[in-house]
Amino acid sequence: MAEAAKPHVRRPQKPFFFNTSEHLLRIGRQKAINLSELLHAMETCPDDSIFQHTFRTLQEHHFIRQGFSNDFAHWSLFACNEPALAEQLASVDVREFTAIEGLRRRMVEILGEFLHHENRPGSRPAYEPFYFCASDIVVLPTSFRADTLAGFLDGINQVSVHSIHHHFIEARLRLHRMSNDFSRWLEEEVGLLEAADDIERIDIYTNTMEGVRHQIARIVSQAMN
Amino acid sequence: MSSEDRSATPAGSTVEPQVPTNGSTNFESGATAFPPPRRARRSTDRRVADRRLSRPLPASVLIPPTPPPPPHMDDYTAIVGQAQIDTLRFLAKELRGKTIKMVNSTALGGGVAEMLNRLIPLLSELEVPTRWDVITGGNDFFEITKAFHNALHGAPYELTKSAKDIFLMYTEQNRARMKFDEELVVIHDPQPAALIRSRENHRSHWVWRCHIDLSNPNAGVWEFLRPFIEQYDAAIFSSQSFARQLPIPQYLFYPCIDPLSEKNKELPDSQIQQICDDFGIDRTRPIVTQVSRFDRLKDPVGVVQAYKLAKKYVDCQLVLAGGGATDDPEGAIVLQEVKEAAGNDPDIIILDLPPWCAVQINAIQRASTIIVQKSLREGFGLTVAEALWKGKPTIAGAVGGIPNQIIHKLTGLLVHSVEGCAFQIRYLLTHPEFARGIGMNGREHVKENFLMTTNVKRWLLLFRIMEQARALRGKSA
Repeated sequence: MAEAAKPHVRRPQKPFFFNTSEHLLRIGRQKAINLSELLHAMETCPDDSIFQHTFRTLQEHHFIRQGFSNDFAHWSLFACNEPALAEQLASVDVREFTAIEGLRRRMVEILGEFLHHENRPGSRPAYEPFYFCASDIVVLPTSFRADTLAGFLDGINQVSVHSIHHHFIEARLRLHRMSNDFSRWLEEEVGLLEAADDIERIDIYTNTMEGVRHQIARIVSQAMN
Repeated sequence: MSSEDRSATPAGSTVEPQVPTNGSTNFESGATAFPPPRRARRSTDRRVADRRLSRPLPASVLIPPTPPPPPHMDDYTAIVGQAQIDTLRFLAKELRGKTIKMVNSTALGGGVAEMLNRLIPLLSELEVPTRWDVITGGNDFFEITKAFHNALHGAPYELTKSAKDIFLMYTEQNRARMKFDEELVVIHDPQPAALIRSRENHRSHWVWRCHIDLSNPNAGVWEFLRPFIEQYDAAIFSSQSFARQLPIPQYLFYPCIDPLSEKNKELPDSQIQQICDDFGIDRTRPIVTQVSRFDRLKDPVGVVQAYKLAKKYVDCQLVLAGGGATDDPEGAIVLQEVKEAAGNDPDIIILDLPPWCAVQINAIQRASTIIVQKSLREGFGLTVAEALWKGKPTIAGAVGGIPNQIIHKLTGLLVHSVEGCAFQIRYLLTHPEFARGIGMNGREHVKENFLMTTNVKRWLLLFRIMEQARALRGKSA
């Protein structure tokens, strides 16, 4: 049997600059006290509110391995006692979307169908209101820059989990493609297609962000060896 | 009208952060749970002599300790990591040379002063010089602002023209004494809110930091204050649910704890053991603890009832560690109610501690198997963050800012009744792996959201975002 061809590792032409993003939470003007109001607010709130309660909340709760997906799902379960709806909303993987509008449509579709088909009274009061928030975001450089694969691995191991989130999860909204900054650099600059693909497939919903970091580091180490 | 000056510091001069408050124990976030340390020290002998306790306090806690010097930014590296400290330094570098002024109504006592005592040296160390000024006023002013405070929390209050006049007169006196040359001016709480009248141009950013719950304010007081608040560039609240509809941006800054304070720093096990021995706490058996003032809103009697229900199924001790019973007549009554509810159960340990017992509270929390905060009403409830920071599985009432800290079943357990609290005590004591997991999550949640370093970061981010917004407005103009 022929041995699998080893990937051809190139010296990167462009360095990888590790950045990070920091967020300041803004309290929005909308709130919902039942599922009907949640649906209406989801349809009309600014994009940055949808971002906050899906992408950003993952970063805020990066230490939770399971049981937390997005704020809409969490509220549906704990404030509205609707586990079926919560499961459906929680199953939405933010990484399947390269623009907020698509993510908003998916969430609205799930909630709308639930209220319609399950014949649930959308006006039943929730235990506590859902407050729509948003974030002001500041992107900052870090002291890490990788000119080599070894330097890249060093950066992965040392930057904050906020930086990992910035490059691994938020990146698709910036790139408008189903990828992330790490995979893109490994593919385009180093020629590690398989490693890039493996990193893209890491499950962020069953891992903490530290777990994601370790998996990325393991994949890169294996590729180096 | 009295013109007696109640403030410790003349208005218009910078308050040096007061080291003595760093080690004090505030059993309620954002409020003066105990009198300021100065007053406490004056009456030490009386306090000790008057004390009526189930258990005499050990001699080691009767004298206030000398507070340690405040920490430096690098001291936090081991806790939050180099990357977080680098982020703070980078944010600060961009703001170097710009200055901040913080204004509040007291230099000593209470959660705000305690927080400013820690925040200001750290901002200044990052080369963003930060001044702290305290407004002055007579007894009449502070009586009115105390009434405002209660009314904004929803208490009935008839706002009179005289009260408005007194409030505005002292505001004018303070305006006459104070200068506002800084690039960012932060006014804390309602007492100094009308200082916004001193804003002469839009060269400075003015921010109102509200530490109190405005979710259900007295309409008269709020409508009086609202026109002042609307002149600010932004308002900051401690919880989404505390905010009002305002035409200015509103930000969420959670209150924070200092991981290096006496109340939260790591302690050697030998010290924890010594303190437990002093108080008669048996570390070989499960310990359930609530740390709070003897106040009905903290429901200490409910905690005793929950413990008694749980004790039918699991062995444990209950520690109720608090204060206020010697200074607050109602606190003494509540303490008596707690003692009556406890009866002669030798496993219930009730401690009415002086305000300087931060290390003792720290040790008791660290020795605990479970921590309870079964409040019926709460501000933010920072004692929950203290418990979570120590990795303790925590059960708390779903009120005030507590749901911001406890995500049910993930970072702790929320309860709504005595029976619910009793069940969760049983569950946690019989499922130690689950208890350990939520304890670990709780600590990470605090690390991410409720530490002093995060607070520093929020101020730097806000300052930077406001500077950027103004630069953009300038360009477009």
